[in-house]
Amino acid sequence: MICGFCAKEIPDKVGLNSCGGCGSRCRKIHCPYCGYVNPAPGKFLERLLKSKPKKEDG
Amino acid sequence: MREEVTQPKIVLVGNPNVGKSVLFNVLTGSYTTVSNYPGTSVEVSSGRCRIDGRSYEVLDTPGMYSLMPITEEERVARKILLEDRPEILLHVVDARNIERMLPMTLQLIEAGQPLILVVNILDEAERLGMKFDLPQLQQNLGIPVVGTVMKRRQGLAELQHVISNYQGPPPPAVPYAADLETDIVRLAGFLTADYPLGPRATAILMMQRDREVEEMVQLEEGEGFPLIAPVLHSIKFSRRADLNLQISLERKRHTRKMLDGALQQEIADHPPFSERLSRLAMNPITGVPLLLLVLYFGLYQFVGNFGAGTLVDFLEGTLFEEYINPAAISFLNGLTDIYWLRELLAGEYGLWTLGVRYAIALILPIVGTFFLVFSILEDTGYFPRLAMLVDRVFKQIGLSGRAVIPMVLGFGCDTMATMVTRTLETRRERVIATVLLALAIPCSAQLGVILGLLSAVPGSLLVWLLVMIGIFLLIGFLSAQVLPGENPVFYMEIPPMRLPQLRNVLVKTLTRMQSYFLEILPLFLVASVILWAGKMSGLLDIVVDGMTPVVTALGLPPQASAAFIFGFFRRDFGAAGLYDLQTAGLLSPTQLTVAAVTLTLFVPCIAQLLMMKKERGLKTALSIFFFVSLLAFATGWVLNKFLLTTGLLS
Repeated sequence: MICGFCAKEIPDKVGLNSCGGCGSRCRKIHCPYCGYVNPAPGKFLERLLKSKPKKEDG
Repeated sequence: MREEVTQPKIVLVGNPNVGKSVLFNVLTGSYTTVSNYPGTSVEVSSGRCRIDGRSYEVLDTPGMYSLMPITEEERVARKILLEDRPEILLHVVDARNIERMLPMTLQLIEAGQPLILVVNILDEAERLGMKFDLPQLQQNLGIPVVGTVMKRRQGLAELQHVISNYQGPPPPAVPYAADLETDIVRLAGFLTADYPLGPRATAILMMQRDREVEEMVQLEEGEGFPLIAPVLHSIKFSRRADLNLQISLERKRHTRKMLDGALQQEIADHPPFSERLSRLAMNPITGVPLLLLVLYFGLYQFVGNFGAGTLVDFLEGTLFEEYINPAAISFLNGLTDIYWLRELLAGEYGLWTLGVRYAIALILPIVGTFFLVFSILEDTGYFPRLAMLVDRVFKQIGLSGRAVIPMVLGFGCDTMATMVTRTLETRRERVIATVLLALAIPCSAQLGVILGLLSAVPGSLLVWLLVMIGIFLLIGFLSAQVLPGENPVFYMEIPPMRLPQLRNVLVKTLTRMQSYFLEILPLFLVASVILWAGKMSGLLDIVVDGMTPVVTALGLPPQASAAFIFGFFRRDFGAAGLYDLQTAGLLSPTQLTVAAVTLTLFVPCIAQLLMMKKERGLKTALSIFFFVSLLAFATGWVLNKFLLTTGLLS
């Protein structure tokens, strides 16, 4: 996932982290580089979000 | 027969998504293994290759942005450099973003690594009008440079040739500005052991407060470390405010020097629209009008008029009032004859009539339109530019551009934003940001309702906006004067501006809406039950009666007390209460404006209060709570007197 603020790649293993403020399990990923909170889509939406891997990526 | 164990190593490093893995696969073919780096869950690929009859072990490291690790992946990549001591280090960069990636090349040169620069994805860069003179770049940097299009194996033969003929480590690093250089040389002079990154890079990393490197030096220097510690401490202290900024600026300056004559961009005289827009967004003269345009069309027109107006009118006024509510209430009332149960399900504060209706018909369309605008702006890369734009103003209130992150997130949800204040560098910044979030940053639903209601009354929205900006700046400025500490320094690498992608925007908007809805629905239902219980027991009347003198002092009708009580449960719940008051025709333009100002400034909701306690401690949280409550009512009172005296909104 690319951070919506600093545009750096957030490693896949950075876990979901809810703030715990409301007791719900909101799905959010905190960027380790800038701290910005990115929405973490569920499985269905994630499938839509993921583009076909570019050959040049890696 | 077993291959020799001590094969020379080729290590690939670089940012994510620059083509490292493609190069790795091209070099190694199918002889690769993927395993977790010892003690971590980070995968590292290794393989073998033969070049000019010589056998090499090849390692593909996880993506890294600099030698200062932030993530576990970067830590592993650096560990490989520290522990594996490669014979050849291939730094793979994306030609299209070479200016952003060369600072790491300079860092690796500084670390004395046996470096070859691989400028990959050349074809796409050329398509963008970038023309490289790679021999010139090689001469400027003093290391071998190879241009490649690895997906087509273009440049592979040249790269293999350069690897097999590699001659020694890179030249000494270019010195930084004199004062910084003096400190680096002084500290590096104390380092006597054989460091994998060399004394210079090791000294710089220690100055940048890299704990791992400092521990390594402590271990290596042993009894000599007590001589180093005071020097290091004095450098860290004297450069505590701006060291990272200075190093970053120096590397950027060197990068431009290295690219001088080596990169020609046809776009230099006529930069593309994205580049021009990026500059306009950060320049105060053009950036502020641009911000006002974004706020006007994005928030006022789309969220306020369309979301809180058209959509809510349709959902609440037509769909719920005319079709869903009558059927639902009749169905729920038909379930039982028991009065208190009927009240609980479909009464004044019933689960359906208050909880579900507020969540679906009022709040969801507003946060939906807000998150759509938010996701579009986010996907264009506007927010980092906003951070640069407001940095100067934020400095006056004890913050820096970095505080744009919690402030922007606060418009989504203040509770989450309060947690994000922990990413600010100093305690002073964290406290100021927490106060301002609790006070003057309305959450998306509250903002949407207020925009929708006030836009119908000429002048009202302007008064609200001026009061909010005034309070934000005044309280920020006073907090900065009262709280001791230095002004923070902010810098960040600005990512390219881009056209928002429809799929990204939709998925992010839907994800945010889903999270928000799942968060508020149970809370709205619980709040309904509490209010219902209060009504049935008579407690609510007592609380409302208790608040009535305060509310009437603001010139508001007694019924407005309920909106303030709602607001304590959730900011958006309170805003929805205000919506009901207005649609019932209970508020004059002056009363509406005063209520909107007071409710926006009014105490943070329960969740935000708990988060403030968690992040800042009970004492600070309670102090902020009482301060904000007092200030909200005081401001409302003064505003009411002012509006009545001047007759501004009459």
